[in-house]
Amino acid sequence: MATEKNTKSGRMRKAFYFSILSLFIVVALPLIPYAIDAQAVGGNPDNVDKVVALPNPAINLWNNVRQRDGVIQGSSQVKSVDSGILINKTGEDWRRFRLEKLVPYGAYLMAGILGAIILFYLVRGKTLIPGGHSGKRIARFTLNQRTAHWFTAGVFWLLAITGLILLYGKFVLIPLLGAEGFSVTAAACKEMHNLFGPLFLLAVLAMLILYVKDNFFNLEDLKWFAKGGGMFGGHVSAGRFNAGEKTWFWLVMIFGIALGISGLILEFAIFGQGREVMALSHVFHGISALILISISFGHIYLGTVGVEGTLDSMTTGSVDAAWAKAHHDHWYEEMTGESVAIESGETSMQGGMAEGGVTSPGTGTAT
Amino acid sequence: MLEQLVDGILWDIALVVFFVGIAWRIVDVIRRPGRNDLAEPRSSGISAAIMANIHGFFPRREISPQIRIHVIAGYMFHLGLLMLLFFAAPHVKFIEEHITGFGWTVMPYWVFVLSAIISFAGLILLWIHRLLNPVSQLISKRGDHVASILVFVVMLTGCMALAESSTGLRLFHRFTVELLMIYFPFSALMHAIMFVPSRAYTGALFGRRGVKL
Repeated sequence: MATEKNTKSGRMRKAFYFSILSLFIVVALPLIPYAIDAQAVGGNPDNVDKVVALPNPAINLWNNVRQRDGVIQGSSQVKSVDSGILINKTGEDWRRFRLEKLVPYGAYLMAGILGAIILFYLVRGKTLIPGGHSGKRIARFTLNQRTAHWFTAGVFWLLAITGLILLYGKFVLIPLLGAEGFSVTAAACKEMHNLFGPLFLLAVLAMLILYVKDNFFNLEDLKWFAKGGGMFGGHVSAGRFNAGEKTWFWLVMIFGIALGISGLILEFAIFGQGREVMALSHVFHGISALILISISFGHIYLGTVGVEGTLDSMTTGSVDAAWAKAHHDHWYEEMTGESVAIESGETSMQGGMAEGGVTSPGTGTAT
Repeated sequence: MLEQLVDGILWDIALVVFFVGIAWRIVDVIRRPGRNDLAEPRSSGISAAIMANIHGFFPRREISPQIRIHVIAGYMFHLGLLMLLFFAAPHVKFIEEHITGFGWTVMPYWVFVLSAIISFAGLILLWIHRLLNPVSQLISKRGDHVASILVFVVMLTGCMALAESSTGLRLFHRFTVELLMIYFPFSALMHAIMFVPSRAYTGALFGRRGVKL
């Protein structure tokens, strides 16, 4: 038993270190070229070329070509979307937004949330089950629910990694792989991203159908928010899902569907969508993806190393009764028919089910 | 150098191992001593063998709710993979140039993308189900997981090389295909060939005894 425990805890520790390392690499690598670039430009002003102002004889011509005063629709023999526009100024706006806002602020967001999680873990440590494992199990997720979750998670991370390579690869991978190496990597990532993209939308819709029932907010969730999910003001009651989990669910739905639809607009450019629509879709796509990736760090942390016993719900489908009492007391009462007495801000560990019993989700029947 | 290796000797080795391995497995099954059934047959073994093969494509009504995901995902994966394998333009071109000397009509690009999406979805669902379902967990061996991973990697590298823009990506895909071909005869992947004689044998055995499958 001890050996099994040690092996399991060893594996968990390895998985944790590997996850932290992977996340660090994914998030930190994009920041390196900025530091190098800032050092190179800011550190040595002599390297900056001196600009000599010369009047351009064709300035009026090129001003008209660039259409600085607004887009002028011309005519062309080529019949396709935007074929009458010589140079569309919005393309430059999009390029600048991507380069100057999306890329750096996205990196700050991901690094900030990851840093906050690491700090939280160092200060607070792992949240243990009060009183330890009871040895009694309660069924929490059905096989279909777990399959949908892991399917979504797998597709999400494949898309996240390939998407981050496409967004940050220019800055991170070109110095490592060279231009040609990055070109091959980017081509491969683009194909994978395009092929798996539609699957993510289907996965999110499957999650919506399978999980929406217990994810509507109620008044009790206000208390949960007020107490910071139990971080301030002691124990906070919750049903099958607490307010934090519900928030994550709806964020996945809103940003996941936004990601899916904007992705389809970008991938299937055959429905007459012009440059503006494509650029706007890209902005929505990028922002939604970076927000989801950043918040998913918190979801992964809480589901694995952050809270003891949580991962079981998604691997085995059941949780320890003590975990249910501590984190989802109302759901525990609903499942077992027992009331949970709260003492001094902690959940009491009295009562329980038959040893080794498992209650079925939704029925509360011991099996 | 790498191109010569993957396109040349490694491909030849993979082909030989693939075909010789399959032949060896089939001969091994045929040569296994069977029990002589001396009883007078109650019905034709041949028709029962054919019916067992047909019935095998449909889940039995009694257990269909329990295996719904298996059946749906199984069909998604296998049909998608068949479409990709035999009707994707790069594959047809490869078969024409290296194996048969003739080709056939390829599927349009959008059908290709749809087949790949359906096939990937089926494979991932089957794999997750294998990992999560307690019964599947019990009956799965390491080789089953290796086969799932290898097939996924082959499909993924194929997807990476889709644009046909890089020799490196093409070689990577072909290398993984060669690994799969070498692994195929010695693994549960042989079910792709053996499911027909296996169903036929069971069907004939039961048919001769008058048991309806």
